[in-house]
Amino acid sequence: MNESENNFESLRRLLALKRHEIPPPGYFNGFSGQVMSRIRAGETAESRETVGSSWLLKFLQVFEAKPAYVGSFACSMCLLLLFGIVYAERPDGAPKTTFLTALTQPAVSLADATSPVLSQSPAQTGLMVSTNPVLSLEPVAPLFGQQNPLALPVNFSLPGN
Amino acid sequence: MIMAEPAARQDPESPRPVDEEALVRRARRGELEAYDELVRRYQERIYATIYHMTSNHEDANDLAQESFIKAFQALKTFKGGSSFYTWLYRIAVNKTINFLKQRKNRTHMSLNDLDFNAEHDPDLVALISDKTPRREAGLTELQEKLNEAMLKLSEPHRLVVVLHDVQGLSHDEIAKIMDCNIGTVRSRLFYARQQLQGHLSDYLGPT
Repeated sequence: MNESENNFESLRRLLALKRHEIPPPGYFNGFSGQVMSRIRAGETAESRETVGSSWLLKFLQVFEAKPAYVGSFACSMCLLLLFGIVYAERPDGAPKTTFLTALTQPAVSLADATSPVLSQSPAQTGLMVSTNPVLSLEPVAPLFGQQNPLALPVNFSLPGN
Repeated sequence: MIMAEPAARQDPESPRPVDEEALVRRARRGELEAYDELVRRYQERIYATIYHMTSNHEDANDLAQESFIKAFQALKTFKGGSSFYTWLYRIAVNKTINFLKQRKNRTHMSLNDLDFNAEHDPDLVALISDKTPRREAGLTELQEKLNEAMLKLSEPHRLVVVLHDVQGLSHDEIAKIMDCNIGTVRSRLFYARQQLQGHLSDYLGPT
């Protein structure tokens, strides 16, 4: 190794020149100050983030860090939308009827227990219960075609007339 | 002022390890004054290492600052297995190597001026007196050629030359910083010197 050290002696002398390369005068006087102010600025920004809506920032930062997440998130949103459209446009079948029946059933039984008027079927009373299906195949009684049992005639004649 | 003198020569002036440990402990608790003191202690050596690796003052300034900031943020993970100095060096070196990999083939030299002592350095005077009649022009030219030759080396080889021949660190210290064994350091140093000698043969006197 000593022989090789001797072979590189002039190279080592030349490399000593690198030690004489110095930054502009006064450069190191302000260096630590710059580092410390950047650390303080970072700490301030960090504390602001935690006070503010940090969860949203973190969520967005995930997308910034890994752009692939943006694509996968967009794809999942599209799929969800597509599924919603397909489900909504599906023709009415047996499962849907069952679902609607199940929805109306508890409303009737509840009405049964509370009011004799409401215990009649909606078609008979002309009432629409909020749990009824929107598209009902049963005919709805006209509002003014027959007397509404809930609407009582009022007599405005004065006594003595 | 001579930048980043070899560690062996700096020993009498270097801080006592106890003081450093206390400063690190205080900095870990978030005391910025303590960390400021650590920055002041190592700023010249860290800057010099990065500067000699990049041959660019602006890049060295940015990377040195970022290295100290990253070290402060990671201070809680510093377990004290090595000295703070070695740990800090490792951060700076990794940051610089990553930067150089990204910057590949886009090298722009922004060299610092030579200090007044360079003209009177006996080694350098002896080296250039045979080559160029105008001493100052010779030094500047040598500086440029030397930096060009350094940039032709791969990052690990350049790093070994910078740490050993420019900054004067021992093989053992370099091995710890580069996380490799001493044999690797020695072989890299030998290969790097050979390469440099080939690139700078016109400027080197007979051995």
